[in-house]
Amino acid sequence: MSNKDLLGRRNFIKGMGAAAGVAMAAPALAVSESANGVKWDKEVEVLIIGSGFAGLAAAIEATRKGAKDVHIFEKMSYFGGNSAINGGLFAAPDTPMQKQEGVKDSVDTMVADQLAAGRGIADEALLRHVAEHAVEALQMTLDAGSEYHPYLQQLGGHSVARTYQTTVSCGAGITQPLLQECRKLGVHTHNRAKFDGFILDEKGGVVGVKMREGYYFDKPESGELVRIKARRGVIMATGGFAQNINMRMAQDPTLTAEVGCTNAPGATGEGMFEMFRLGAVPVHLAHIQSGPWASPDEGGFGYVSNYSIYNFPHSIAIDRLTGKRFMNEIADRKTRADAELNCRDAQGNALPPILITSYEDSKQHPNTKKVLKYNVGWKFDSIDALAKHFEVPLAPLKKQIAEYNEYVKTQSDPQFGKNMTEAKGKFIQAPFTVVRLWPKVHYCQGGVQINTKAEVKDSLTGKPISGLYAAGEVCGGIHGVSRLGSCSIPECMVMGMTAARIMMQA
Amino acid sequence: MKMYKLMLGLVLAGLVSLSAQAIEQRDYHKDVIGKDCKSCHDQGVKNYPSDQACLQCHDVDELAEETARSEEDKWQNPHNNLHYGKELPCIECHGEHKAKKPICSNCHTFKYDKHKE
Ligand SMILES: Cc1cc2nc3c(=O)[nH]c(=O)nc-3n(C[C@H](O)[C@H](O)[C@H](O)COP(=O)(O)OP(=O)(O)OC[C@H]3O[C@@H](n4cnc5c(N)ncnc54)[C@H](O)[C@@H]3O)c2cc1C
Repeated sequence: MSNKDLLGRRNFIKGMGAAAGVAMAAPALAVSESANGVKWDKEVEVLIIGSGFAGLAAAIEATRKGAKDVHIFEKMSYFGGNSAINGGLFAAPDTPMQKQEGVKDSVDTMVADQLAAGRGIADEALLRHVAEHAVEALQMTLDAGSEYHPYLQQLGGHSVARTYQTTVSCGAGITQPLLQECRKLGVHTHNRAKFDGFILDEKGGVVGVKMREGYYFDKPESGELVRIKARRGVIMATGGFAQNINMRMAQDPTLTAEVGCTNAPGATGEGMFEMFRLGAVPVHLAHIQSGPWASPDEGGFGYVSNYSIYNFPHSIAIDRLTGKRFMNEIADRKTRADAELNCRDAQGNALPPILITSYEDSKQHPNTKKVLKYNVGWKFDSIDALAKHFEVPLAPLKKQIAEYNEYVKTQSDPQFGKNMTEAKGKFIQAPFTVVRLWPKVHYCQGGVQINTKAEVKDSLTGKPISGLYAAGEVCGGIHGVSRLGSCSIPECMVMGMTAARIMMQA
Repeated sequence: MKMYKLMLGLVLAGLVSLSAQAIEQRDYHKDVIGKDCKSCHDQGVKNYPSDQACLQCHDVDELAEETARSEEDKWQNPHNNLHYGKELPCIECHGEHKAKKPICSNCHTFKYDKHKE
């Protein structure tokens, strides 16, 4: 990419806030180099890049398996990546809370649900590996001090309630305890340290990395380049690329800078690019997921997303043009996001649909208070007031609500086939709370191919690249077309733990 | 306490004066720091102050106390917040010479009335 292009691009996205740094972040000089004759500035035992769920879980597990000198490098000034701003929703099968609530579940059921949403191209072996070890990951968070709401949720595409959520309704309820746990265990955590390429032995195996220390995200060439040797190997836990506008538009031209995004600014993908350059197999890069629970009234994930995720099972989503439902509110994410994008006014302009919930039910979740307080959600005492506020045709809306309440009673939804189990007894009645919905770019199903040992396969030899492991959103192909909500935390953590275990055995 | 030490240091060193060019500066910084760029720009004048620079005078625990919110909103305390605790470097939300939006505005509509934007 020439400098001129970069500037043009920069002007184009000027004013896009966090996104503005992204197009410039493409490092011009990052390439792998040979270890032959390299002067190492430092040497560590276990080298982890990225400080989200995958990196933190890997560091803790490596230490538990006997590693003495574990280092996490993070390019941003703060730790946690997408994980620290995530919704704190954690799916696992056969959990203590399921037993308590009498929910029947199994590894097989969880895998089957995910395979269905993956639409035939998910990786069953990896999904099974993650489901089998998900409870261990959950336990790791509990041991570190994470706390969860005392109830389970049933998220879209899941056939049963199997999702825990942190009491703070955020992934920070996991990353903060894990980060503290890392430090307690003596793991070294470095911020403003940007991975900038691999260092390879004669056989092409990874023996170290190039790192920019003292890196400032908005100054791409900042920092001092050091070469760090990794005795046992390198774990790449660098996350997805949803904030890299060029890359996501290369995969899907509709995902322009104007489309909202829930991700942290650092989700730009260069760790993944370096692995491709090394020979890793790219999988499913074009499958980029949009979140159907996001709101156009705030940035990113905000407060509304978790509000809607909690409320979808006992709410109705209404097209404001027709006053009618237009989707199964707990279908998988792709089904719902596509349906929402079709909600348009007579001129074809976006007309964000609304989610209507009985206040009686919505107020059970702590985010309802926040949504109302910060003016990103509204409360109404009557259907008339609600319809007037959002300019929804009143008669069809009233009719729709009456019909839906029948489905709640009969526990069957002939209109869209929604699973009504969690809606039992929860009629749509005044007073109501309402939010607006519009999808935002959320998650990259694509990335580098790994196996159930978290090894990265070489596209030419078909064999694992020695010394290299990858875990978390930087990996691809696990979920296929559409990842189910709350299935990333277990995947990131289990694969981070797996990478550490395999590395410590090697 | 720390502040007095710094002031004393500045007086002893004799204020290193800056070119006439006026730059935006908080009043209370003018009084204490004056025109000694290096007292903040500890990584060179062309670079951002380091993440420790502000901590020469400011204490993060004290700041967290000053900006504490009610129990219900306690995690919206910018100096001890839900996502990063007390670890967020100052320059993520504060710019001395150029106003800056707080990092939380990426996703939230919180109002921090005293924050200079
Ligand atoms: C707002 C939001 C809400 C979500 N909610 C949920 C949920 O409730 N449940 C669920 O299961 N999933 C959820 N997801 C998805 C899930 O959070 C992510 O997939 C997951 O956090 C990814 O974790 P990770 O460890 O792979 O990467 P991340 O947590 O993104 O961490 C990667 C880190 O690597 C750093 N990095 C990148 N490149 C470099 C480099 N070159 N050098 C050094 N460091 C680098 C990044 O800055 C980042 O800090 C959510 C995602 C978002 C964005």
